Amino acid sequence: MELELRNIQKSFGEKEVLKGISFTASSGKAFGLLGRNGAGKTTTIRILMDVFNADAGEILVDGKPVDYKQLRLGYLPEERGLYPRKKIIDQLIYFARLNGMKRQDAVKSIDYWLERLGMAEHRNKKLDTLSKGNQQKIQLVTALAHEPQIIILDEPFSGLDPVNAMLLKDVVKEEIAKGKIVLFSSHQMNYIEEFCDGIAILNGGSIVLKGDIYDIKHNYVRDKLLVCSEQAEEIRTRLGDCCSVTETGELLVQMKDPAEKQEMMKMLTGAYDIDEIKVFEPSLNDIFVEFAQDETSGDTMLPSGAHVPSGRNKDIPSRDTFIPFGKKGNGR
Amino acid sequence: MGQFKTIFQFEFVNYLKNKVFAGVTVFLVLLIAVVMFFPRIATVVFGDEDTAEEGVAAEGMLLLAAGDYARTDLLQEAFRSAFPEYEIALTDEDLDTIKRQVLSGLAEGAFVLESPTSYTYYVENLSMYDANTQLADEVLQNLHWINSLVDSGLSAEEAGEILAVPVAHDTVSLGKDQIQNFFYTYIMVFALYMVVLLYGQMVATNVASEKSSRAMELLITSAKPTGMMFGKVFASCLAGLIQLVAVFGSAVLFYSLNRSYWAGNMLIDSLFGMPVELFVYMLIFFVLGFLTYAFLYGAIGSTVSKLEDINTAVMPVTLLFIAGFLVVMFSMSGGEIDNLLMRICSFIPFTSPMAMFTRIAMSTVPFAEVLISILILMVSVVATGFFSAKVYRVGVLLYGNRLKLGAIIKAVRKG
Repeated sequence: MELELRNIQKSFGEKEVLKGISFTASSGKAFGLLGRNGAGKTTTIRILMDVFNADAGEILVDGKPVDYKQLRLGYLPEERGLYPRKKIIDQLIYFARLNGMKRQDAVKSIDYWLERLGMAEHRNKKLDTLSKGNQQKIQLVTALAHEPQIIILDEPFSGLDPVNAMLLKDVVKEEIAKGKIVLFSSHQMNYIEEFCDGIAILNGGSIVLKGDIYDIKHNYVRDKLLVCSEQAEEIRTRLGDCCSVTETGELLVQMKDPAEKQEMMKMLTGAYDIDEIKVFEPSLNDIFVEFAQDETSGDTMLPSGAHVPSGRNKDIPSRDTFIPFGKKGNGR
Repeated sequence: MGQFKTIFQFEFVNYLKNKVFAGVTVFLVLLIAVVMFFPRIATVVFGDEDTAEEGVAAEGMLLLAAGDYARTDLLQEAFRSAFPEYEIALTDEDLDTIKRQVLSGLAEGAFVLESPTSYTYYVENLSMYDANTQLADEVLQNLHWINSLVDSGLSAEEAGEILAVPVAHDTVSLGKDQIQNFFYTYIMVFALYMVVLLYGQMVATNVASEKSSRAMELLITSAKPTGMMFGKVFASCLAGLIQLVAVFGSAVLFYSLNRSYWAGNMLIDSLFGMPVELFVYMLIFFVLGFLTYAFLYGAIGSTVSKLEDINTAVMPVTLLFIAGFLVVMFSMSGGEIDNLLMRICSFIPFTSPMAMFTRIAMSTVPFAEVLISILILMVSVVATGFFSAKVYRVGVLLYGNRLKLGAIIKAVRKG
């Protein structure tokens, strides 16, 4: 199955929230929807879930306009919340039935999931007697019990301890393996990198970067060197402005042109005592911070390789140049 | 439709499981049971004492300072028959002593005559229901007439006969008997008023608490707003109806068990002598009125983010409802049920449930008018239902400051 959002636009009053969102996610893969708070992720998700209509654009499932009577969606909202004073099993059945399940099937499926998440003993308790992490696991059941074809997880790992996070990871991997489409929205980039094949970064209602994570990282302009040296101070004095120190204490050397790489390496290794030198590859976190930065407000958030001029270059994937899925860059 | 059923079921079961709902219903039924069984219990427990007490006990003493009234014996006699429950004591003490006696509680009150037709009534605390001056007025007026007639040559007996001639009368009400209908109409309108306010508030709180607990995030993505709104409101309507039927039904049941003990009680007899068709109208107007307001309350509940904002948010709707209630109440006590305001109100969907019902109960309304009123109400129920679902969809996702009416309408139009 393939889910495609095509040029989705939405305004609330004067405010244009989505300015043409397009991406494709397919079965058996996880897709990461990234963006800072207010970038338009939740609006995109709500439009996808038919809470309100888009002003323009379409949602296609396998090339045909989506039919919400046929499509089952599971949703774990970022703002968690169920009925605090109702019995867990009662509300889980309620939500499963709202999502089109018959009562008996719902009970069966819910019992399976409660067992799978280690929550079976809490079945007949009231929700507010549970800890926050456990409440979140109950909420996860509402997203999974009705066997949705598309699962939307908004910040699924927030508030989970490492053991529960591991459990959730396993569950998500299982669901992906079952051929579900998993849409991830998270700020924890390590999880995105672990699960997602494709990502889209939203900023101010537009997608500023999208594509395969691997491609994105490898197509990122390779014009920085990461240098580990005892003589860092001397190197900084010599190279001046184009040199900065990362959070971990390494030197980050910005080159004018990626082609200078060999020369620069030779120069540095010849002149100084270098422990390690390599081309800087940004983490997804760095890429996110760079692309999700607010252009207008002069936001000062910088990647961990800080204090350097932007790693973006006119001819690399940028805000205006999208990398289509699976298509490799020009091998730079 | 499937979702509506699921939501309806879930919400309805919630009402039944709600301890307050169950508690209030049981309490009301018990209260009615106690009231209805009271005469029976009273006869069993105090039965003998009641009958033994033949003569009327004197409640207290009233002082009568006759001044220079000519025939004090006649005067005292007349007061005695006018105030059978009091002992009437003639006095020639001075004013200060009389006042002291009244203040000390020795006498309940004192009539100090200045002339045959003027007096001052002294009493320690004037009760709201003190009718003593009216009675005294009548006594003195009668005495004056008798004296005048006697002066003009009639004997005292003849004069007394002339004045005491009884007038026999009979009233046949061709339309409705407002005196008889007043009580049950009053009770019905008041029940409608209470139930709508109570349940309206409950629906609003229900929606707002789903919003504040953020269960809404999941609900709105799982169910259609129309299904949510109609499911919730219809469930609360059925719950309210059940409560109403339980209370009125138990009243009827307990009354029929104790009918003989209530014989001769006008109020109770009139209550249970209510025609069945009126009860049917009551149900129709109750359901339609309830739905109209419950939808509005639900929509308002969706626009607040914090539960404590509900009371101020629902104020306009509550005031609208209270205004309708007051119009009905004043028209009822004013005696003129079919006044212009009531006629207008009985076609406005927000006031017609009470106004039209009252008119049907206490006056004669052409059937066509009733039908039109019901049809308008039905259309408005559907309209407010869909309107509130739209507000709901817009409202539930907006957190932060309470929404202004203008902003809501704008957002609803935009969809």
